[in-house]
Amino acid sequence: METVIEVRDARREYVSRSGVWKREKRVVKAVDGISFEVRRGEIFGLLGQNGAGKTTTIKMLTTLLAPTGGSCRVLGCDTFGEEKRIRPRINFIFGGEMGVYRRLSARDNLRYFSNLYLLPRGEQEKRIERILGLVDLAERADDLAETYSKGMIQRLQIARGLINDPEILFMDEPTVGLDPVGARMLRDIIRRLKEEGRTVLLTTHNLAEVEELCDRLVIINKGKVIARGTPEEIKGGFDTLEDAYVKLIEGVSA
Amino acid sequence: MSLAVLLATMRVQMKQSFARPMFRFCLIANPILNTVLLYEMYRGSGEESFMAYVVLGAGLMGLWSCICFSSAGDINRERYSGTLALIFVAPASFPTIILGKIIGNTLLSLLTLGISLVTAAVLFRTPLMLESPLYFLFALLAAVAAFVVISSVVACLLTLSRKTELYMNCIEIPIILLCGFVFPVSVLPAAVRAVSYALSPTYAVELLRMSVWGVEEPAAFWQKLGILLGLTALYAVLSALLYRRIDRRVRVAATLEVA
Repeated sequence: METVIEVRDARREYVSRSGVWKREKRVVKAVDGISFEVRRGEIFGLLGQNGAGKTTTIKMLTTLLAPTGGSCRVLGCDTFGEEKRIRPRINFIFGGEMGVYRRLSARDNLRYFSNLYLLPRGEQEKRIERILGLVDLAERADDLAETYSKGMIQRLQIARGLINDPEILFMDEPTVGLDPVGARMLRDIIRRLKEEGRTVLLTTHNLAEVEELCDRLVIINKGKVIARGTPEEIKGGFDTLEDAYVKLIEGVSA
Repeated sequence: MSLAVLLATMRVQMKQSFARPMFRFCLIANPILNTVLLYEMYRGSGEESFMAYVVLGAGLMGLWSCICFSSAGDINRERYSGTLALIFVAPASFPTIILGKIIGNTLLSLLTLGISLVTAAVLFRTPLMLESPLYFLFALLAAVAAFVVISSVVACLLTLSRKTELYMNCIEIPIILLCGFVFPVSVLPAAVRAVSYALSPTYAVELLRMSVWGVEEPAAFWQKLGILLGLTALYAVLSALLYRRIDRRVRVAATLEVA
């Protein structure tokens, strides 16, 4: 099966400086030489503790950040240098309540992003209606997003992430703060995307969700890959993926 | 450049800006208060044309404040709401999106000139003369272009840094003073005047003022307009070069989002 994401020895450092007179330079290695591949049509999990480097990895893959070293290729193109060929074909959703214009309605948000994704005018309204129905926001589509609950804002984020019918959807903790109904709706959407042959790269702390959805996954810790495989392979002799995960993290932290 | 993206961004920007209380304050209350302040300052000064310094001065101050706190501040608002990253990686070109925001804001902010005019007319009942309306129209169009382009340079630089609020506060008053919004640049020391005449709004203000007083020497007007358009074109080239550079720079420096 075709490889659509290829990460080779990717590294990313953040440099910060403090002090007024004597500037002190501090370098944090967020991602420290990770490698993995994702095949077309897979739901791929990226797991790890807070600060493990998951979000940084997603940002490098979505062309938001330049890798400090190594390479990140998406759909056969380098994410730093060939980003213009990647951007129309992917999209991303970050968890939480960010990433929408709160003083616009859901419909206006989607209209605006469909313009930014250069969708033909005739197609925009049809697609917006379909997506609003998919995330169950059709009834409140013309209310300002600032009047929405947290879950509704996240559903609007999901809708925005689907606006360009992406071949690959990157999701960074998309179910954070979602109520059980919203979380299930998102899982259903992810499954439907897989049925349509789309690829999803997902980070989450919900290991039951990973077991339920992911075909394969990598676990990263302090910027390095510490395990990879299918959920069954990673579970090994443990009853649950959570037990296996905790053991792995404890093992490398000891 | 996509016209649909430009127009959609202008529409969204105007809606969003007007929904913000701070923008409404800058747009409506600020020119009213500045008109009162400048009227009191100029009342006993011997200056007869209140239109040239009071109405125009207050209107331009309001216009510049709106531009500073919106066109520049929007970068920060987008950054904190997590949408800066989204618009940056959208297939539409980032400079077109920023240009749409700036044009939307600037057009909306032109209201400050009207509010200042109405305030002066209603509160002080002073004669407000505009001697050369056609020249004023040319000057106004050139001024809008100059403000749009200068805002675009500022917005571009602010994309590179997270200290946006500090910088936008730092540029508001100096531009008002250096470009002679409320007094003639000729009263400034010679060394400072050199800086003033490197800034395009200085010429825009002088052109507007010339047309308020009445253009007696059209050649002088056109010459100044030529300089203004030349400077605006120069800034536009600088802006285009900057945008080309920031595309790589912000992804290396990781300044698109809040840390």
